[in-house]
Amino acid sequence: MEFTGLRPARGGTLLAGSSGGVKVDLPADMQGELRDLESRLTPLTHYELLGIPADADGGAIRRAYLSKSKRFHPDAWYRKELGEFGPLLSKWFQKLSAAYQILSDEESRNAYDEEHRKDLSQSDRDAVARRGLSRAEQDRRNREGRERLLRSKGFARIGAARKLFEESQQLAQNGERGNAIAALKAARELDPNRKEIAQRMVEMEREQARARAQSALVVGREREESGLWVKAIAAYSSAFQNDPSLFDAALGAARAAQENGDLQLSSTWASRAVELNPADAPARFLLARAFKAMGMKARTRAELTLLLAKHPDHKEAKALLRGL
Amino acid sequence: MAELVIGIDLGTTNSVVATVHGSAPTVIPNRAGYRITPSVVAMARNGKRLVGALARRQAVTNAERTVVAVKRLMGRRWSSKAAQEVIVRMPYTVVAGPHDDLRIALGDIQYSPPEISAMVLTELRLDAEAFFGAPISKAVVTCPAYFNDSQRNATKDAGRIAGLDVIRIINEPTAAALAYGFGRKESEKQVAVFDLGGGTFDFTVLHMFKGVFEVEATGGDSLLGGEDFDSRIIDWLAEPFLQKNGIDLRKDKMSLQRLRDAAEKAKCELSSLKSVEINLPFISATQKTGPLHLQATLTRDQLENLTVDLIERCTRVCEQVMGEAKVHAGQLGDVLLVGGQTRMPRIHDAVKSLFGREPSKAVNPDEAVALGAAIQGGMLLHEEQEMLLLDVTPHSLGIAIAGGFFQKIIPKNTTVPTSAHHVFTTVKDDQTSAKITVLQGETELAADNELLGEFMLTGLRAAPRGGVDIDVIFDISADGIVSVSALDVQTGMRQSITVTASSGLTEEEITTAARANEDWMLGQKEDPRFQDRKAKAEELFKEFELLWPRLTRAAQNGLGQEPLARAQAALSVARLQLAQKESEALAASIDRLERMLGALKGAVERGLGNT
Repeated sequence: MEFTGLRPARGGTLLAGSSGGVKVDLPADMQGELRDLESRLTPLTHYELLGIPADADGGAIRRAYLSKSKRFHPDAWYRKELGEFGPLLSKWFQKLSAAYQILSDEESRNAYDEEHRKDLSQSDRDAVARRGLSRAEQDRRNREGRERLLRSKGFARIGAARKLFEESQQLAQNGERGNAIAALKAARELDPNRKEIAQRMVEMEREQARARAQSALVVGREREESGLWVKAIAAYSSAFQNDPSLFDAALGAARAAQENGDLQLSSTWASRAVELNPADAPARFLLARAFKAMGMKARTRAELTLLLAKHPDHKEAKALLRGL
Repeated sequence: MAELVIGIDLGTTNSVVATVHGSAPTVIPNRAGYRITPSVVAMARNGKRLVGALARRQAVTNAERTVVAVKRLMGRRWSSKAAQEVIVRMPYTVVAGPHDDLRIALGDIQYSPPEISAMVLTELRLDAEAFFGAPISKAVVTCPAYFNDSQRNATKDAGRIAGLDVIRIINEPTAAALAYGFGRKESEKQVAVFDLGGGTFDFTVLHMFKGVFEVEATGGDSLLGGEDFDSRIIDWLAEPFLQKNGIDLRKDKMSLQRLRDAAEKAKCELSSLKSVEINLPFISATQKTGPLHLQATLTRDQLENLTVDLIERCTRVCEQVMGEAKVHAGQLGDVLLVGGQTRMPRIHDAVKSLFGREPSKAVNPDEAVALGAAIQGGMLLHEEQEMLLLDVTPHSLGIAIAGGFFQKIIPKNTTVPTSAHHVFTTVKDDQTSAKITVLQGETELAADNELLGEFMLTGLRAAPRGGVDIDVIFDISADGIVSVSALDVQTGMRQSITVTASSGLTEEEITTAARANEDWMLGQKEDPRFQDRKAKAEELFKEFELLWPRLTRAAQNGLGQEPLARAQAALSVARLQLAQKESEALAASIDRLERMLGALKGAVERGLGNT
């Protein structure tokens, strides 16, 4: 327990050396593929790695990942003599997994496209643009379709609502949350009595907010690790706005504000964090420290007492209390 | 011929063994012909080890030396709250072990939970060997998805003690999904598995496509199962009895065992009946009142009211896991019910209303897990199996950092194999060593998480604080083994360990137990003369049977009842010896029966048997 100060580190590369005379059981084409992957000078984009165009939809991404897993997952070659290729399989499977993770969510995929525009091939950049366009086009067509359905009269409205509801399920499965929500909204207008629709819409919207909150949280952490306190606070605060139950965001903002010397702000965020999780020691400790630095002795003491009641062995809290 | 491998569902109440035989997965019946073996182990008064149905049958008369539900004790620490809660419910005696683990006292000998589990595994292994007529050493064993590393290692150790090479531990719900997906390679589908077994609850969402099974999220409660439903009935029976008679039946091991049996039976019957009679005569006695009896009528509605919170706990877990998998109930292609407790109609209804659909009947809730384990064994060892399982880590992994907090490094539900790393720096000037504490769990405070292992990184360069960067790298292999290495970034000095949570047994204890088990198995090895003796004994049984009508007449005609009673006793002793394959004792019985038969035949021929 003697570490502090997390910092992200860069991954080391594993180079295929000689096989050391061990007979390798892996098929020649698989060996060739791994060697090619290893000897590349420029890193592959997630799309290239999965072998899909940059405008592939959610279903295609998943199918590509699962098909590739069949060749790259170490279990596919269980009990085979793999020699130097063993660790390579594991490494490239993990890269596939990570790529899939990012591309399978609309929010993180858009962020990836934005960030890696310069790394994408010309055709993939076109594909991203096409996806943007076709998404806009699709959005327009969906919107028109919805408007047409919205003009339905009488009993036809119920059928139209069902159609839109089913469409939204399909869209959600493809990771197109925005469109799914729009379809649900139209469906609800057509058939306000069907609870299922309203319920699903609330769920989807919550899901969207949660996804946004999560990606903002990740950004906040990255900025915090690089010491960009003000930017970190902004990201954490956006995460919290999207998901007011996100304890980690409140705590992160409190931490970053304290590092930045903004005690007023830190105490605000820390008290939000404490509200969300009254039993959490780090949050309460931050709050106490902020009060202390602002010279509010009574409130510091109150917080520390509460903290020590829950966590009697908290050394730093004890020390702070003694210092008062 | 492909290498033989078996799949074992090592359950809280029952266990099943299966194999991929030819091309289809099949359940291996035990040597008594049943497809399910109770996970019960007993030490009979004569010191003999009984496993399965034999052990279960004698549980009431030998409650203190009969071990049930040992799975609930696997990999638990004596000092943990969970362990203490479970122990009070057990009819046998659990004591503290030497490594803050648990030991079960059976007579003079204390056994660790893995040793007891190993006895069940040994039994299943013998069943499989009898089925194949060949030795078996490789197995895939299942455990609840929510088992932590200590519990998994305890399961693995049980396998080693039983002389099995456990090539993989897989999660029960995943195994059930494999059984469901076997032979449906063409379809792409998302399914959920609702697994409520005897002791644990698990919920898992999977996606399958062309023979690849991707676990998307998993979660559960390792102390929620059929046993808890039984406990509610036991309390419902025992509380009024305590009020009325001042006797707590749960304090007496024998009455507790009778209550357990009655509760389980009532619960099962209420799956098809609306109400059942529970009748326990002579359950207790006092000086004043003499024998006391217990009689009650339990209705299905009452049972549902008693267990409503247990079912709610299940649905809460489902909702949480679906949130983690970012999936909506309506999107699921199928919902599978696994585990005997899912037969309860109220659970069926709860699942139906939660998912808005009838649960699938495509898999057998008792057998799917073992079949899936066998399929996974085949997938790993047999080349022709074009299937693959992408499993996830059920718990987050990380280390303790300054201030006693937990830094997650690999979040839960990450597909394995996986690796991750973080750079840490020294916090003191001239710090020469650093302790790395590897933890598993979800809470922010380090102390509240499961300790996987610790290691010291020594010989750091003397430098001002923050001057030494240490890169800590975590690897989880496809079979779930965690290894951690730490690297001094500036000097390239590296130290690494493979982390295995303690199952409660040391390496030495495992080897000793494995050797003892081996010896026991050799002792069990059939005497070559046993088959002849068995034939002879069965022949004698038949002769007695044929003679019996004439003997009863002889008894009335002056021979008396006594020789018949003696013959009957000798016969039942011989039958027991035959069932337990006690070759030498059986030979002695045969001699005695032959002598008796000769004497009785003589008596009959002397005319006593004629009318």
